[in-house]
Amino acid sequence: MDRLLSVENLSISFRTDEGPITPVQGVSFGVDRGRTLGIVGESGSGKSVSTKALMRLLPGSASLSPETRMRYRAKNGETVAIETLKPRDRALRRLRGGEIGMIFQEPMASFSPVYSIGNQMIETIRLHRGLGGRAARDLAVEMLAKVGISSPETRVDQYPHEMSGGMRQRAMIALALSAGPALLIADEPTTALDVTIQAQVLDLMRDLQRDLGMAMIFITHDLGVIAQIADEVAVMYLGTIVERGPTREVIRRPLHPYTRGLLEAIPAIDRLDARLKPVPGDIPSPSQRPSGCPFRTRCPEAVPGLCDRAAPRETAVGEGRAVRCHLHDAARAAA
Amino acid sequence: MAVLDDLRAPAETRAERRERERRERYYAASQWTLIWWRFRRHRAAMAGLAVLGLMAFLGLFAEFFAPYGQTTRNAQYLNGAPQWPMFCDANGCSARPFIHGTRTERDPVTLRSRAVPDPDMRLYVRFFVEGEPARLLGFLPISTRFFGVDGGGRIHLWGTDDLGRDVFSRTLFATRTSLSIGVMGVVISFVLALIIGGVAGYFGGIVDSVIQRVTEVIRVIPVIPLYMGLAAAMPRDWTTTQVYFAMTLILGLVGWPTLARRIRSQLLSIRNEDYVVAARLAGARPSRIIATHMLPSFTSFIIVDLVISFPYMILSETALSFVGLGLRPPAVSWGVMLQQAQSVRVIEQTPWLFIPAAFVVLAVLAFTLVGDGLRDAADPYSEAR
Amino acid sequence: MARFVLERLLGMVLTLFLVSIMVYFIMELPPGDYADRFAFRKYSGTGVTVTEAMIEEIRRDLGLDRPAYLRYFDWISGIVLRGDFGMAYSFLTPVTNVLGDKVWLTLGLLFATLLITYAVSIPIGIYAAVRRGSAADYGLTVFSYLGLALPNFLLALIMLYCANRWFGASVGGLFSPQFENAPWSLAKVWDLVKHLWLPAFVLAWSAVAYQLQTVRATMSDELNKLSVVAARARGVPETRLLVKYPARLAINPVVSTIGFDVNRIFSELPIVAAVLGLTELGDLLLKAYLDLDMNVAGAILLMLTTIIVVMNFVSDLLLGWLDPRIRMGA
Ligand SMILES: Nc1ncnc2c1ncn2[C@@H]1O[C@H](COP(=O)(O)OP(=O)(O)OP(=O)(O)O)[C@@H](O)[C@H]1O
Ligand SMILES: [Mg+2]
Repeated sequence: MDRLLSVENLSISFRTDEGPITPVQGVSFGVDRGRTLGIVGESGSGKSVSTKALMRLLPGSASLSPETRMRYRAKNGETVAIETLKPRDRALRRLRGGEIGMIFQEPMASFSPVYSIGNQMIETIRLHRGLGGRAARDLAVEMLAKVGISSPETRVDQYPHEMSGGMRQRAMIALALSAGPALLIADEPTTALDVTIQAQVLDLMRDLQRDLGMAMIFITHDLGVIAQIADEVAVMYLGTIVERGPTREVIRRPLHPYTRGLLEAIPAIDRLDARLKPVPGDIPSPSQRPSGCPFRTRCPEAVPGLCDRAAPRETAVGEGRAVRCHLHDAARAAA
Repeated sequence: MAVLDDLRAPAETRAERRERERRERYYAASQWTLIWWRFRRHRAAMAGLAVLGLMAFLGLFAEFFAPYGQTTRNAQYLNGAPQWPMFCDANGCSARPFIHGTRTERDPVTLRSRAVPDPDMRLYVRFFVEGEPARLLGFLPISTRFFGVDGGGRIHLWGTDDLGRDVFSRTLFATRTSLSIGVMGVVISFVLALIIGGVAGYFGGIVDSVIQRVTEVIRVIPVIPLYMGLAAAMPRDWTTTQVYFAMTLILGLVGWPTLARRIRSQLLSIRNEDYVVAARLAGARPSRIIATHMLPSFTSFIIVDLVISFPYMILSETALSFVGLGLRPPAVSWGVMLQQAQSVRVIEQTPWLFIPAAFVVLAVLAFTLVGDGLRDAADPYSEAR
Repeated sequence: MARFVLERLLGMVLTLFLVSIMVYFIMELPPGDYADRFAFRKYSGTGVTVTEAMIEEIRRDLGLDRPAYLRYFDWISGIVLRGDFGMAYSFLTPVTNVLGDKVWLTLGLLFATLLITYAVSIPIGIYAAVRRGSAADYGLTVFSYLGLALPNFLLALIMLYCANRWFGASVGGLFSPQFENAPWSLAKVWDLVKHLWLPAFVLAWSAVAYQLQTVRATMSDELNKLSVVAARARGVPETRLLVKYPARLAINPVVSTIGFDVNRIFSELPIVAAVLGLTELGDLLLKAYLDLDMNVAGAILLMLTTIIVVMNFVSDLLLGWLDPRIRMGA
């Protein structure tokens, strides 16, 4: 396997007015070249901060734990230790944009309103591809065409506010891809769009990924989307990965109660009459992390005396699969 | 079964319980309590509040705290320097603070008589001494003063002006005038803003456009020249009281547009909220809808704006009186007092005449800090400092 | 863009019209009228007793007995068509003579002040936001609070005192004595520049304090915007990123409040002028008010306000130029 990125023991803490909080604890995952990793979890589970840590985009109030290891295999064959990069390093600048591209949830806010789409694309192309003037502009137009924007020659000079939401998200994708990254991080790229546009953008991303041979980390809170796009999936809950593995297997045979809950919450055409079962309860805030297993407060199968005592460890289950649950461990021990 | 659960559940520690109770109190607290809690955390704002409280207190009871009346003259001590109470001098120490008396001698150069301290004469400072009779709060006759010196002498903590009037006493009276003018000005501009902004924001449409235009015109004319124009029109023969009320009216008349704009835009933004529409459909009168349904939703913002507009009132009053277009003697305000301090010569020769300026700075600073503290407390999502 | 400019232009004319009514109202406000004051001035010290009939005659001669709206019309049409602001009674000469080149002096002072204000407040405000929470930021915050609390005449006095101490007595006023009444020449202009910095500094003081806070607050906001994070995620170098993304937007509120700054500066002008002995419109305005020479006062008030309105227009245009959303009417 050709590992492009591997993350081990990622823990992130924030200094806040109410004291320190640690919304991400001991997260490990990896992405292979040309493959897609889906990260799924409810709002506040720490998906965005984890990926921001990969690009060193966290604010000054954030700190990584010393055990954190993030290794990235660059295009030139060198391995970059992301956690050791200094803010002004050239390597960090190359990594941002040139190696890893990023798309955010709100396409409107990701563009600066006072520059044209083209201006922001050409800036990126100049920085990472060493192209100037005419050539950079041509490439920008080409990228816009590639993401399915009609009459890209005129669109390139338009401002973000002149575009519709779907078009802006396409432009955002073009912007991220214009520097030719080997890995694209898409943080809920479709949540702000309406359903039909969502499907189009999703299709577009899948096609682009195949054509460009890019790897991708796709963040969403919708397992249905994951099923369409991801090769592997990691399920996050309250700052830890509770289950991960190949998408098909995880969906077919979920091992963690939380994953099962998420699956039951997906509406399906053939079960329209059945009531949806959302996962009960609310996700606790990181400052009030339950003792023991973080999910125990909402888990229908929690065992008193076991789940509230110690946090479960991650247990490998077959090739590339792992789960973090006392019940599973107990069942295995019994077997 | 429940008992069993209870037993199994890890016992809540005391710290946890305290934390939970704190949280519960927090959720149950009213909006105002919350604002007060957040405000209390602002140290600078609390300090500002304390300063304002002290000023208001001293000003309100100026007849008691000031040793002399606002126009009382000490002909023996013109342009006299501040007299700081001391405990020791060349003749030894005493437990009771004292000042040196003065004697008059002729200046060898100008041949004018002037007062010089007499180091051999001690005037002891006493509290609750008998002084000029006055009426506390305008009706309560008193003749006791907070402090004074014995032996029929006079104490001028902050010196005297060219007429021999006590700067300390006058500053206290001025504090009352200046603060009260600020309050009245703010109240008047608030009432105007409420009516005008309310009408514009509630009705919208053409009424709004017209009012907006007029507001715009008043905002565009430079403030102090506008004040001056209005103040210049006050007949010269008006009494002090008439001028005083005219001043509050002028300050109020010029001050409303900013506030009115704020009220208008807030009203416009909630005009189509469901609960307002519902009240309208139910046939409630506009004034009632504005008063009971719309205003309460942004009272805290209005209060913040009111507090923030104080400094402008105070600075404007000071500036106008300073150039002779505001209050006129014998009325005394900070600005009137500073009229005597218009030249560099004063800085060199009688710098204590600038003491009222320190009050202006302090009051403006305090109002600004309180306003900022209130704003942060009322809107926790505004810029977190 | 043409439409945008035209709209603003029309708005400006309408505002100016309403302003002129307001100014006329203020001119008419003091008790008594021009005829009273004129008669008093003309005959005072001559031993002639002024009778009601004499005043009435002057009033009729000058057309002051006609209704207010007609007199307003005369006044404003005189200004617009002939540049005639009427007579200054205390000088017994047309207002335009009294104003002379004071308008230009005032404009010079205004632009010097604006220059200082923006040259100081924009870079320092941006710096404070980037270094948020540092000692420098804290110090600047304290400064701007103090800056807003210090009455300008007090600052003027302090500055005058310091200047007298360190630079000798020639500071204060707008010209050295030998240039006061001299015709314009290069030497005179240079003399003016040498005198201008002190009043400009005093007038800029509170504007700086105010804009510093505005720039710092907007810049802090902008720094946390997703567009800045997104640009950083594209690998834009940090310094360039700060200038191109947040700083560019942080000056928008400054640009949009240029008119407000001019208003603030003109508002302080008469008082600062009185303390510093400046001989321009602010000083003249104060004297005119004290003398109740309302034709002069009205002319100056109208001029100052017109300058503000024009600067508002300029600020609108600049903002439209800076921000495509406004230009395109989004
Ligand atoms: N700058 C910050 N300071 C303090 N806490 C933060 C900060 N940024 C994020 N957090 C905390 O980290 C937690 C995880 O946030 P994150 O944005 O990663 O969630 P998410 O999984 O992406 O959710 P969503 O689906 O809503 O985007 C949140 O609970 C939040 O309180
Ligand atoms: Mg997120």
